[in-house]
Order: sequence, then structure tokens, then C-alpha cells
Amino acid sequence: MTVNIGQAKQTQTPAARSTSVFDRLIGGEFQQLPVFLSLVLIWIVFEILNNSFLTSRNLSNLVLQMAEYGLLGVGETLILLLGEIDLSIAAVSAIGGAILAVLAGNGVNPYVAIIAGALSGTVLGLFQGFWVTVLRVPSFIVTLAGSLAFLGLLFVLIGQEGTVPIMNNTINAIAGNYLPDWLSWVLVAVALLLMVWTAVRDRAKRHQLGLPPKSAASTWTKLILSAAVMIGATVLLNAYQGVPIAGLVLIVFVVLLAWICQSTGFGRHIYAVGGNAEAARRAGINVKGVRIMVFTLAGTMAAIGGIVGASRLGAASTASGGSDLLMDSIAAAVIGGTSLFGGYGSVWNALLGALVIGSIENGMALLNAPTSTKYLVEGAILLLAVTFDTFTRMRRKQLGR
Amino acid sequence: MAKKTWKKSATWMAAAAVVTGIVAGCGTSSTNSQGSTSTGAASAVNAHPSVKIAFLMPETNTSPRWEYDDRPDFIAAMKKLDPNAQVIYANAQGSEATQLQQVESAITEGAKLLVVAPVNGFAATTIVTEAAKAHVPVISYDRLIQNAKVDYYVSFNNVEVGKLQGEYIAQHTKKGGTVVMLDGAETDPNAKQFAQGAHEVLDPLFKSGKLKLGYEQYTPNWDSQQALTEMQQALTRLHNHVNAVLAANDNLAGAAIQALEQQHIKGIPVTGQDATDAGLHRIYYDGTQSMTVYKPIYEEADAAAQLAYDVITGKKPPASLVNGTVNNGATNVPSVLLQPIVVTKSNIASTVIKDGFTTWARIKNPAEQQ
Repeated sequence: MTVNIGQAKQTQTPAARSTSVFDRLIGGEFQQLPVFLSLVLIWIVFEILNNSFLTSRNLSNLVLQMAEYGLLGVGETLILLLGEIDLSIAAVSAIGGAILAVLAGNGVNPYVAIIAGALSGTVLGLFQGFWVTVLRVPSFIVTLAGSLAFLGLLFVLIGQEGTVPIMNNTINAIAGNYLPDWLSWVLVAVALLLMVWTAVRDRAKRHQLGLPPKSAASTWTKLILSAAVMIGATVLLNAYQGVPIAGLVLIVFVVLLAWICQSTGFGRHIYAVGGNAEAARRAGINVKGVRIMVFTLAGTMAAIGGIVGASRLGAASTASGGSDLLMDSIAAAVIGGTSLFGGYGSVWNALLGALVIGSIENGMALLNAPTSTKYLVEGAILLLAVTFDTFTRMRRKQLGR
Repeated sequence: MAKKTWKKSATWMAAAAVVTGIVAGCGTSSTNSQGSTSTGAASAVNAHPSVKIAFLMPETNTSPRWEYDDRPDFIAAMKKLDPNAQVIYANAQGSEATQLQQVESAITEGAKLLVVAPVNGFAATTIVTEAAKAHVPVISYDRLIQNAKVDYYVSFNNVEVGKLQGEYIAQHTKKGGTVVMLDGAETDPNAKQFAQGAHEVLDPLFKSGKLKLGYEQYTPNWDSQQALTEMQQALTRLHNHVNAVLAANDNLAGAAIQALEQQHIKGIPVTGQDATDAGLHRIYYDGTQSMTVYKPIYEEADAAAQLAYDVITGKKPPASLVNGTVNNGATNVPSVLLQPIVVTKSNIASTVIKDGFTTWARIKNPAEQQ
């Protein structure tokens, strides 16, 4: 799933063949295995502590609770791939939510309000991208300044009440409504067909290019696992009220951005610039264009996250966009195994990372744990997950992947 | 309509520029070792040098009230009492260090009295010792400075706020019912006092089994998104057996109601505080929130101004004003404790509307900016 430039050829040394199943998994198709295992472990622990955790109702809660920082985490992943950082995404998301709420409150068509909210993120992202790329101010500073200024803007937008309620049904439906069962199954079927088709096409393409085919076993494992996860999640969610629309929004954007990263020239350029900007420039890649584009995309994703968040709460508030949302979103990207130094990682990681963070918050709230415990556990898990990932990456290097 | 919107955006832009200016100003003051924080001296009431009073507020992040209400109300009240008084205004933007610097520079500028709402009530002792060295009296405003010889304290009776919420729950919850408590930010001393008041009323009922405490949680930064997660999880944990929600303020109440509506739970008592337009809308139009606690901020600013004026002119403040004491660990601080007011559907007109705190139009559509 992770695209590594210059790593198209699978190594077929005798040493690789004799390694353990774990080594083969982390070295090959399933680099997210460590996070996945952490997630399973977290779920088991919470289920033991409170048997309401693994119910379809609670998983539905979880999907809604994680949707916002999942979306923010996906945007942050793109920035991290460049080797940059964006500290303004939480503030941008709050702006997106506020613009949505204020426009809707003043009688603007809800769809126009949604688009305007999302575009506000595009504009702010473009602005910051320009500042980072053309004026060459470090992204850390630009986005730190941005996060302050945007909070100021947020106060202006929201006004002295501190909260703008959203009373429009269309907007509240984003996080309040669910897909009908039949539709969720149609979507699952379409997704599975697409995956099979991609795998077949990929095989044909490799053959055409004279590359050795990927092992059938790993292709099948990946397909079967994805199918199991999708069907399992759909069965569970349908057992409650259905797949939340906010969850669908999250998945659609993850798939879309994963596709952009893996299968388009622009996507590969992101990795190239993040890996070595100078080399990318000499190879003729429009480094500045890629950077500005990525900041613009991240801003847009943040605003979309903010729209989902505002819809969930039924209000936009000045307390949104605080440090917790920012930290959770960056943690989601990093826990998933995306490198802070650029060039390595995947959008899918952010989804898994958001699941980890969301599960901890959900579980801790379910246990009615005090804030102190919650922060301690979150910190410990963040550190452990990233340490685990660092070790597996070192192992991967030793294996010559 | 379109024209109106444009006009509004222009206003926003202008205001954004102002806010950026404030942020920038704050930035310089916190890096400047001399602490030129008296940018707010622009708000001096009269050019003639006269009695100077520093009005030092804590932050703008979680509540806009300090900038929008307390500051203009205090300056207006002071001007009424003494047209020659000068008010030095500064806002610490949530930083204890900045606030101390602002205190020092206010004293250097010749402030004869400090009215301080501390960033952190437990870490503001130095403010009082610095002021004592210069023989400048300190009035602790809205939040009490702990463990220090503070001269006066002006605030709404926060414990009373919690009691009013607790009493509402006690009177309106069915016998044996389960209560969920959302207490607000653990770092806010006021939140602890709200919770203390609520517990004073409810704990005997929990003990005797008349009511059950099903779930109680603090919400970091009063963040309503987190409160929503907490309420969803409380409902999951209690399998929807929830008969009342004691929410410390209207924003938390809004989040709790959002979670209750997802589970189609209606008609249970939900408390609030601050008399926000959104809260009043839920009380009057939706019936989803039961009550809110209204604290007329102008009363607090007026009382602080009156007290400051009396102290500076050497008068003893009347007992009708200083109506109690609060122990802060070091001393019993003479206090002005203002009475909060319960607002329900039946007395909106005679309270918040009559005071001009809000209007029916804003309650009807709180999302529309007037």
C-alpha cells in the first residue's frame, strides 16, 4: 500500500524466503501490521473492562467520534509525507465549521454553506502553502502563526456568544443520519469488485512491463482481509442503525487520497519531494507546485473535517479547534507509521491511527475514567505504538526491503 | 440579502484586522522584558492624570466575555463614579507569566489598585505579593486568588450556581432516577465550585438512594465535542437509563442534548448556565433544556468598580455591597457575592429580556448574526 519510489522490484533473495511470517508481512504488503495489532489489543482490553465496548452501538459511536480527526489526520499525513508540518489544521477545521454554521444560520442554502465551508479551508491552505513555498518561511512557523490568527478569525465569525447552533436538517444529517442497509451493501460490493479489478489489472501491467508478479498469496490475503473487514464492519453497523454518513465521508476521502498518492504522477511526486526535494527538483518535478498543492489539500481536508465535526455537535463553537483536536490528528497520522521526516507513509495509516486514538477516547469515556488516566494512557500508547513501528521499520531495513 | 451579507463580511474583515492587531500586540508584550503591556491604556477614560486602576483579565480563548462584557462594563461604571479615573486594561491571553508581567508594568505605571481575574487562581500568589510590596490593594475578580492576602473578592456565588442546578435536578427527577453530571474543565476553579455546590445538594440524595449518580466527568477545556463523546459513552455505559443531566453550562447542555436526541430520549431535566441564546432557544422553543443559570455580568463589573472607588477614596465599602467572606487558604477574604438567577421558560421575559441581556429575535434564531 505504501509507495516507495525505486522499490518496485521485489527482492527474491534466499534470506528473504526463509524469514518468519511476521517479517514477510511487515516487509511486504502489510506494513500497517504493528498498528493493526495495537488496535486489536486495545479493543480486547476495553472489551474485558466493559462489555459494552464491542457492541454495534458503541462501534457506531466510535465511527462518528473519530470521523473528524480521521479527516484531519489524512490531510496531515500528506503534509508529513513532504517532511513538513501543519499546526493549523485544528483551527482551519474550526473555521470551516463556523463558516458553515454562520451561513446556514443566515438562511443560505445548506449545500452552498457546505461548499463554502470546505473552500474556506482550501483558501487558508493555499495561503499557507504559498507562504511556506514561495516566501520560504518554515511551515512550523507559518502554520503556528496561522493557528493563532485563524482562532482570532473564529472569534470574529462566531461572535460573543461563543457558539452558533446549526438548525438545518440537511447539515445535521451528515453526522446524524445513516445509510440504508441495502445501499451500504451495494457500496461494499462495488468496492470489492473495484479491488479485484485493480489487482487483476496490476498483475497484467506488471507482466506487460516485464516485472515479476506479486505473490498470489499476498494479493489474496490482502483482498480477503479487506473483504472481511468491510463486510464485518457493515454487518455490525447495520445491526445498529446503519453505516453513519460521516463514516462514509471519511472512507471516501481516505480511498480518494490513497488513490491519488499511489496511482497518480502528483502522488508519486509528493513522495519524491518528501524523500529528497533536491533530487526531485533535478528530476524535473515542480517541487513548489507540489508543496502548494499539498498544503491546499490539507487545508481542504481540515475544513471538511470541521464540517463533519460541526454537524455532529449541531453547533460551531469557539472551544473547537483547540489543542486536543490538533494533537489527536497529528497523533493519528504518526501512530499509523507515517514518518515525520517525509517520504514515507500512507493515507491508510492515518485511518488506522485515527481508529486507535478514537478507540482510546471512546473506551476511556465508556469506563468513566478520570482525565488524568485518560491523558496518561493516551501518551503511553502514542509512544509505544510509534516505538513498535520504529522497530519494525528497522527490521524491514535489515531485511533489505 | 446579498448586499447585506457583503456588508457583514466587510465588518468581519475589519474585525479580523483588529483581532490580528490584538494578537500581535500580545505577542510583543510577552517577549518584551520591559512588559509594555499597557496597550490597553488607550482605553484611559480621561487625559487628565488622575487615579489609575488596572483591570487585568485572564484570557480570550474559552470565553469572549472578558473582552466584550467585563471590559466595557467596568470602564463605563468607573467613568460614572469618577470621570477622571484612568483604567489600564490588559489581557494575559491565558499565560500566567504574561499576567505577572502585566501586573508589574501596571504598578510601574502608577496603578493605585489592581482588579485581577487570575489566569490560574492557584498560581497567582505572586501577583498579590508584588502588589503588597508597592502597597497596591488587589481585588480578585470573578476567580479567587488562592493562598494570598487578597483585599477583596467580587464574583457570582459559584457554589450557589451549582446548588441551583442541583436543586433543579433534585426537584424534577423521578425517584430512583439516574443522574449524569458533566462538570466542565477541571483546571477552572469555578468549575470545581459549581460541582461542589451541586454535590452539596445531591450527595445526600445519592446516599439515601433517592437518586443515583450514574456517570460524572470533567470536560477538558469545556470542549463541547468532548462533552458529546462523554455523553454518548455515558448513555452506552448506562444502557440509556438516564433520567437527568446536570450540565455545568449551556454548551455542555447542548452537547448532552445532541447525544440524548440520537437515542430519542426526551423530556428529562437538563440544566445549564450562562443564559446563552442557544440555551434559551432550547428552553423556550425546543423544550430540550430545562433551565439555565443567568449571571448578569454588568452587576459584577459594577460591583468591582464601586468597590475599587470606595477603596481608593478611603471609604469603607457598605455591608450591603460586601456581603460575605470566602476562605482562600490564607485568609477570609471580604467578598461581594452576587446572586445568580435561575431562568426557565416562564421567566425569560422578566430576566434576560428585561435586562437587555438578549432579545427575543436572537433567542428565536441564535444562529443569525444580528
